[in-house]
Parts: sequence; C-alpha cells; structure tokens
Amino acid sequence: MKSIVQALCSAAALLALSGAAARAEVTVLGWPGGPEEVSLRASAEVYNKTAAADDQVKLIFFNRDNFFDKLQTDLAAGTTEFDANLTATYAVGRYAPFMDPLELPAAAHETFSDGVLKTMQFEGKQYGIPTDLSMHFMYYRSDLIAKLLSDPAWQAKYSEIAKAKLGKDLKPKDPDQWNWDDWAATALFFTKSVNSDSPTRYGTVLQMKNLLFNMMVWHSTARSFGGNWTDASGKVIVDGPGYRAGLQLYKMLYDAGTSPKDSLSYEYAEANAAFGSGQAATMLQWNAALGDLDSKEKTPAVAGKIGTVAPPAGPDGRFTHIHGLGLGINASSKHKAGALKFLNWLATPDAMLGYARSGGSPALQSALVDKIAKERPDLVKIGTFAGQYGFVMNGATSAKTLPIYELQAKQFTGYWAGTQSLDDALKAVSAGMTDLLKK
Amino acid sequence: MAAARRSLNSRRDGWFMVSPITAFLIVVLAIPLVVDCIYAVSRVRFETLRAPEFIGFGNFAKVLFDHEFWGAMLFSLRFGLLVTAAEVLLALVLAIFLAPLLAKRSWLIAPLMLPMMVAPALVGLMYRLALHEFVGPIPYYFVLLTGDSPSFLGPDNVFWTLVTIETLQWTPFALLILYTAYQSIATDVREAAELDGPSTWQMLRYIELPLMRPTILAVGFIRFIDSFRVFDNVFTLTGSGAGGNTMSISIYIYEVFFRRNDIGVAVAASIVLLAVSFGLLTLLLRWSERQA
Repeated sequence: MKSIVQALCSAAALLALSGAAARAEVTVLGWPGGPEEVSLRASAEVYNKTAAADDQVKLIFFNRDNFFDKLQTDLAAGTTEFDANLTATYAVGRYAPFMDPLELPAAAHETFSDGVLKTMQFEGKQYGIPTDLSMHFMYYRSDLIAKLLSDPAWQAKYSEIAKAKLGKDLKPKDPDQWNWDDWAATALFFTKSVNSDSPTRYGTVLQMKNLLFNMMVWHSTARSFGGNWTDASGKVIVDGPGYRAGLQLYKMLYDAGTSPKDSLSYEYAEANAAFGSGQAATMLQWNAALGDLDSKEKTPAVAGKIGTVAPPAGPDGRFTHIHGLGLGINASSKHKAGALKFLNWLATPDAMLGYARSGGSPALQSALVDKIAKERPDLVKIGTFAGQYGFVMNGATSAKTLPIYELQAKQFTGYWAGTQSLDDALKAVSAGMTDLLKK
Repeated sequence: MAAARRSLNSRRDGWFMVSPITAFLIVVLAIPLVVDCIYAVSRVRFETLRAPEFIGFGNFAKVLFDHEFWGAMLFSLRFGLLVTAAEVLLALVLAIFLAPLLAKRSWLIAPLMLPMMVAPALVGLMYRLALHEFVGPIPYYFVLLTGDSPSFLGPDNVFWTLVTIETLQWTPFALLILYTAYQSIATDVREAAELDGPSTWQMLRYIELPLMRPTILAVGFIRFIDSFRVFDNVFTLTGSGAGGNTMSISIYIYEVFFRRNDIGVAVAASIVLLAVSFGLLTLLLRWSERQA
C-alpha cells in the first residue's frame, strides 16, 4: 500500500513539474495557413535560438474556418491556453475587452509608420503589433491583355461588346488606367457566352458568398463610387449612390455571365481555383494570393502570366480596402511578461525584415522596404498602394464592425442572388447598421 | 421489521445505482438548462457572460417577431420532411431489392455504410471541392458530356443540392435498419401468405409493409430529427447562403450567438425550438403509436 502511495505521489510530482515546464513556454495563437503562418514559424524559430528557457515561444493555430468565432469564445471564457493571440483591424474593438493594451517599444516606430500602427488601435490604445497588411489587387492575365492591347480585331470586338452591353464607347486600356467600366468591358469581352472567340470561359471571378471577407473585397468598388459606412457626424449613409452603383455593377456582371454560375458560393479559395485554372481573365483578390498563383508548381496554367494593379478607379478615385493582422496580449494570460518580450522583439526592424523574408507581408517604413525590395518587390507595391489608395470605412474599427460586415454580406448577397430588391437590401442594412452603431 | 429493513436497503441500493447517471445528467443537462433559462431572460454578450442583466421576456419577443427565425424554421422543416421522405423511400426500395443479394453476400453491407461514416462537416467540404466548376469531377464530366455544367450551388438549385447530399449520406442508415426489419419477417408468415397465391406486389403491400411499419416510422422519426437540426454539412458548404437562403434553424442560432453576439436572443431561440420540438415530437410519437 505504501509503495502505491509513493508511486502516486511521484507521478503527481512529475505531472506538476511537467505542467510547470509547459507553463514556462509562451504560447502564441497565429493566423493559420498561408504565408502568415510560415513567417511566424520562421520568426519564432529565430527568437527561440536566443530566448531564455522560460521565454521559449510555442505556436498554435486553429483551423481558419470561423477562426474569429472560436477566438472570441476562448477569450471570453478567460482561456490561459495562449498568451498572445491574433487580432485584426476589423476585430480589434471586438477583442479589446479581453486583451491588454500594449506599451510600444521605441523600435516599433522605426519599423512601422503611425498609420500602420493605428490599424491595431482601439479608442486610442494599442492592442497589437502589426504583422501583415492585407489589401486588394486587380489580378489580370498579362498575356491576354497584351494581345487585347495590340490586336485590332480584338479591339474592334471589345468596342462592339462595350457598346452593346454597357452602352458606352470604350477602347481597351492598360489595366493600370482602368475605371470600373473598362474592367466590366474587359470582363464581358473575355466571357465565352458573350464573345465566342474568348480564350477564357469567364472574364472575371467574383467572390459573392454570404461572408464578411467578401464584403471587404467588394468595398473597394463601393468606396470608389463614393460609398462609405457613415458620414462625419456618424450618420449611416450606405443607402446612397455609391453603394448602389457598386452593388449594381456586381449584379450586372454576374447576371451577364462574366463570373462562374456558382459565384454566390465563392470565397478566397474558390476564386483562386477559378483564376488559377486559366479560365478567368481578371480577378479582384487579396494580395496574399499572388505567391501561390504565380508559382509554377502550384498553378502552372497562369504562373508567369499574371499582372497586378490597384483596383480600378471610380468617380471618387481609386481605393483599396486595407486591414492589418497583428499579435496582442491575452488579458487572461499567465505569462504576459514573456509574451510581451516576444512581441517587443517582433516589432524590431531586424525581426520584421526576417518576417518579410519568410513570406509575410508587413507594412514597413520605406527605409526598411528598400532593404528587401529586390527579394520582395511586392512589398514595395503593398506600401505604395496602402499609402496611395488604402482606406478604412468610417466606423470600421468599432466593436460592431464584424456584425456590420455580416449584415451587409447577408443583405447584399440576397440582392445579387435576386431574392430581394436593391432598395430592400439597402434599407435593411441602413436600419441594421443604425441599430448596431447606437447600441 | 426484517421486511421493512430489506425494503429500506433495497431502496438505498436503488438510489446508489442510479446516482452516477443522475449526477451525469445533472452536470450535462440540468445545469446547462438552468444557465440557458437565466440567459434567455437576460441581456448577455460575450463581454458580460458572467454578469447577465435581467430583462424579462424581451428576448423571446425578439425571436418570435424575427422573420429570419421563422424563415430558418421553414427551411429546416421543409428540408427535414423532404430528406426524410427521400431517404426512407430510397432505403425501402434498396432494402427490398437488394435483400436477396445482401443475404448471400453480407459483406456488401460494409461498403454501403461508408457514406455515413464520414463526418458531416467533411462531407460539406468534400462537395465544396467536388462541385467546383474548375476543380470538381462532377462539373468536369458535365462540361465534357454536355458542354456546360449546372450551377449546383446557385440560388435556384442550392436547396435541392443540399437535399441530395444529405440523402446520399444518410440513406445507408435507413437502409441498414429497414433491411434488418425486412429480413426479420418470419419465414412462416410469408409461407402462410403464399398459400393464397399473392403476387409480389400483394405480398409487399399486404404482408411485408404492414409488418415493417413500426420500423419505417421509427426510422423516419430518427431521420427527421437529425435532418431538421442540420448544421455541419450545410454550414461548411454554403454557410447561411446568399441572402440567408440556406439558413437552417441551427445555423440561425449559431449566427445570432457568435456573429451578432446576442447570446440572450440565441438562447431564447433555442428554448423556443426546444418547446416546439417537444410538442411536435409528442404529437408524432402519439401518432406513430396509434399507427403501430
């Protein structure tokens, strides 16, 4: 009996010790899949080489599906399973009650501009170190556009289609000069059901699934037509000409067959698969897709034949939605000091240059971008586009940002699907947003 | 005296025996139900999970006057009834027609059961790939054979695509039960009936189907409950759909809870669902008892 008790005590002691050892690690919950995960893994490896035993960083990743719902549940439950976690511009207000504000190290200002640091702020407090900046590129098939710009027969057909379908006299232009009409005409021209000579089945691929991220993609269109969430006084103004024009453009393109028939169930992955098959000539998509699409191993059909520019211009100018992903401190963490050490290190110029070299897309100060411009020319583009065209809708960093995106996604996809009128969709969104923002 | 002591001991043993399951049920059912009842009459969000504010029955009023709630109920009811009818009919036909083959080669039952061994969420993901116009095998063969592919997940077809997927996955369950019931009809009953020289149809209509009726009702009952509360495969394949056209009642509750962060309303909706389901199931049970 005595030996059994001794054995049990020893086992308990061992368990306690191993638990203490496990608690000595700093656990970081990152954004799963894609270049963000690869870069974070590489950075943690570098950090762990010099970090003290108690500060070693361990990474964990949820599945990407409904990531933010899972994160919210864990944070609200006061989890201690991770010490630092992902946050995003559009969710920073949602998670702020469960996270600790940060005191930024001086090095962070050498690495990031104030504008970029603001993407991780809520009510004037810093809740995260920005790691990646996301925005939209207009992807196009450079080989097909080159032919369109040089072949008189194609140009004549293009003008004929633009006149017949859009009622406008248009000629092919360089994608960097496109407005939304030029894009629409190009999409129609490269659609087989409209132009039987088209080398692609579809002129574009629209992401129209009832999903908040698809609203972000579409917002670049709405904003360039003058749409916004609220005016300066905080009044909801979505039921206006800007939103109306942007919604009608997508509806017209979908109804005209320029995008796959199942586009109402398409999101990031489905759109990439369509464009990557070589059967879609253009696509408005997140910048993160470029690496895979331009890889000869992953998408041989289009790799090396892709051009990227900022989204087309509208009457109010040219815009791209931007948001940052970053890492902040879980308020319930038992290892805040260790987590803070890692985040402070991550905010240094050297750490962020390493992060960028591993595939991440941080928005760095121009002096740092110059250091890696040869290895990562896309970062130059990201920095330029963010500075020139980047926007965040008024009120889109509030605690109600995600429910607003959800509301818009539901109502607008209903309009695109033809199950409700444009007026009804806009009225429902306007009323719902007013209600959400006043709570 | 001795008899009284025996009775007391017996009662104490009885309590002792049922106490583990009682404790288990209290922990997994009763406590969450009490918490649910508190949340249902409170204003509660993720930020105030531990400090709900009592507001009376406002959450129930919100649910009952929310047209999305009734839309989701209608979707689930329609989906559940159609899927149940399709699965039971298909399984019945297969059970009867495959019975001679399965009696000889019983190992064939194993591959027939494979679809229901896959997690429903994975089935949704699988069809997300299989139905994609550019990478999916189904659209590929449609294009190859007809030059075009239907829009499986477009607004006109998505409901029927979901019904088909659910039916394909869960018909094996109904098949297994109905085949077992068909096989268990006593040989002497069939032999006695054959003395009257019935046709195959008459044998099925007047002998076999009446004997299988309790099992058919039970299978229909189970499959209706399962398909009415459908979530996983629909959620992973289409979410709540364009304009909410594939929002089942389970997805509605999920979205109100997680996406709108209106936990009190979501819990009130789940209690309304519980009450409606309880009433509906009681009626169905009484009806099926009478039928049986």
